[in-house]
Amino acid sequence: MVSQIKLMSSDQATIVVDKEVAERSVLIKNMLEDVGEVDEAIPIPNVNEAVLKKVIEWCEHHKGDAPATNEDESDSRKRSTDIEEWDQKFMQVDQEMLFEIILAANYLDIKPLLDVGCKTVANMIKGKSPEEIRKTFNIQNDFTPEEEEQIRRENEWAEE
Amino acid sequence: LAEILNLCDSQQLSFVLNYVSPRLKKDPFGTLPNELCLRVLSFIDDPKTLARASQVSKQWHSLLSDDLTWKKLCEKHSYRRLSSSAVGGPSALNDAYIFNSSPVFPKDSSFSTVNNSGFTSEITPQTRQNKRRRPKATTYKSHFKQRYMVETAWRTGGKAIARHITPDQGVVTSLHLTPDYIVIALDNAKIHVFDADGQILKTLSGHVMGVWAMVPWGNTLVSGGCDRDVRVWDMETGECKNILRGHTSTVRCLKMSDHKTAISGSRDTTLRIWDIEKGVCKNVLVGHQASVRCLEIHDDLVVSGSYDTTARVWSISQGTCLRTLSGHFSQIYAIAFDGNRIATGSLDTSVRVWNPHTGHCLAVLQGHTSLVGQLQMRGNTLVTGGSDGSVRVWSLERNACVHRLAAHDNSVTSLQFDETRIVSGGSDGRVKVWDLQTGTLVRELSTPAEAVWRVAFEDEKAVILAMRATRTIMEVYSFSPPPEALN
Repeated sequence: MVSQIKLMSSDQATIVVDKEVAERSVLIKNMLEDVGEVDEAIPIPNVNEAVLKKVIEWCEHHKGDAPATNEDESDSRKRSTDIEEWDQKFMQVDQEMLFEIILAANYLDIKPLLDVGCKTVANMIKGKSPEEIRKTFNIQNDFTPEEEEQIRRENEWAEE
Repeated sequence: LAEILNLCDSQQLSFVLNYVSPRLKKDPFGTLPNELCLRVLSFIDDPKTLARASQVSKQWHSLLSDDLTWKKLCEKHSYRRLSSSAVGGPSALNDAYIFNSSPVFPKDSSFSTVNNSGFTSEITPQTRQNKRRRPKATTYKSHFKQRYMVETAWRTGGKAIARHITPDQGVVTSLHLTPDYIVIALDNAKIHVFDADGQILKTLSGHVMGVWAMVPWGNTLVSGGCDRDVRVWDMETGECKNILRGHTSTVRCLKMSDHKTAISGSRDTTLRIWDIEKGVCKNVLVGHQASVRCLEIHDDLVVSGSYDTTARVWSISQGTCLRTLSGHFSQIYAIAFDGNRIATGSLDTSVRVWNPHTGHCLAVLQGHTSLVGQLQMRGNTLVTGGSDGSVRVWSLERNACVHRLAAHDNSVTSLQFDETRIVSGGSDGRVKVWDLQTGTLVRELSTPAEAVWRVAFEDEKAVILAMRATRTIMEVYSFSPPPEALN
């Protein structure tokens, strides 16, 4: 028997989800352990409906995954920015949504999703010049030319 | 909205795209809390990207100055921790961070000189001053930068800071680097002591024939050779403090177990344990049937390899033989011992790994096609060099060959490795630097000579003893970054 629970997003939408799926979130899992069986929707005040649905979609797909080890600095996490194909597709969203997912994953305490999100951002930065990074994220260059030159020289060592 | 867009032609659509797309973009570091920004950065292990990212904006710059990111990068690159400067063996201590403000040479001038010891020398003084003056890294970012620049210099840069044409034509039999000294011994009875940057300090004269073994300990040097004497020297003063007599044939190997205990192995088949302060022989270890070629010490155990094809394990305090390791079919030329394992290299072309406590042979490593004369062990990694010119990297967990490097056209005469690289020298006159993990050639160091006698290296320095135009040459290479780069 699959038990289900209700979640209430910040914009007051109620979403029904399998308990097993929702428990990918350590926050929700702990909450359920604390309060036991509840009929009312659990409020998720920091996450709106669109983002919450997206997060749940991820949890659905990953519900069979082995539970994440507590060892945060495990080798695989450290080693690579490889992202599995499904996750890559999943993360093909606009930047607003991407950052919202990261924030939600952090708030809901879903480490693997948080890592996928952070890796996605990291990959958007990798291998780019400062100007390309600015373009990617529409960032204003707020350095004076002098500052820019000084910082460029400071970092010359890494350019080989 | 969709209907409006459907009415647009491509020019208008492209306008919409250009108008809309920046608005869909967002600075992640302006959106996410710092803790998550740093998490994003923790997934970037490429310093170039990090350095470039710090040039994006003021906020990115300040985020990228967070030391946690650089600390993680140090860990990923296996750079040692900031606090501990001493990783590696006692002779691999690094003095690069020692503050020393007394310059010895006029700045910005290289010069050549022939001094009274007969050396023709070329020294680059500014490097010397700079290295000594380098302040201790205070942040992981500056630490990372230093290490990264050193690594880069090892791959593609570095410069010769000292080059000596010695007055000798002899074969260099040993080379030692210590925090204070570079010491070389020759088969013409000479021992030369240089400071850590390659300035000649003393020539130790006293031996009457070739010096075949020596071991430094602080300011003390113990040496032995064909004249059968073991001599104890003060390298600071150049004075010979003791002459230890007893061996009846050439002293072939020497090690120290503490500041006053030296152990020598000889062609007379014995090992002798000496109190070098009192100048007395404390014990004679008798048992080998032929020349003792190599020895290694760990705690109270000394292991010796002999031309009688066996290795023996002895107790230093008891002066007794605990075990005899039999298995090689021919002379043993090289030995390594770390307390847990003994590795021996033999003329029978094999390498054997032994348990020092039981005397059991744990593995026979086959692959070399000629004498295995060079051997170093570090953790679970063994690196061997042979007269077949090849260098092999072995895993002692699997007792299998990990890499086979076609290193030299002729014998491998010298070899050393640390956690990142192997440096090998050969009688083909070449010095090669290899990546330990991948087993690939990183570079050739210096220009080909007639023969390379010895090479040794530390974190930021490599010393080559080679024969060029029949003269014995010493070259000191530095991989230290220039100081202006570290400000």
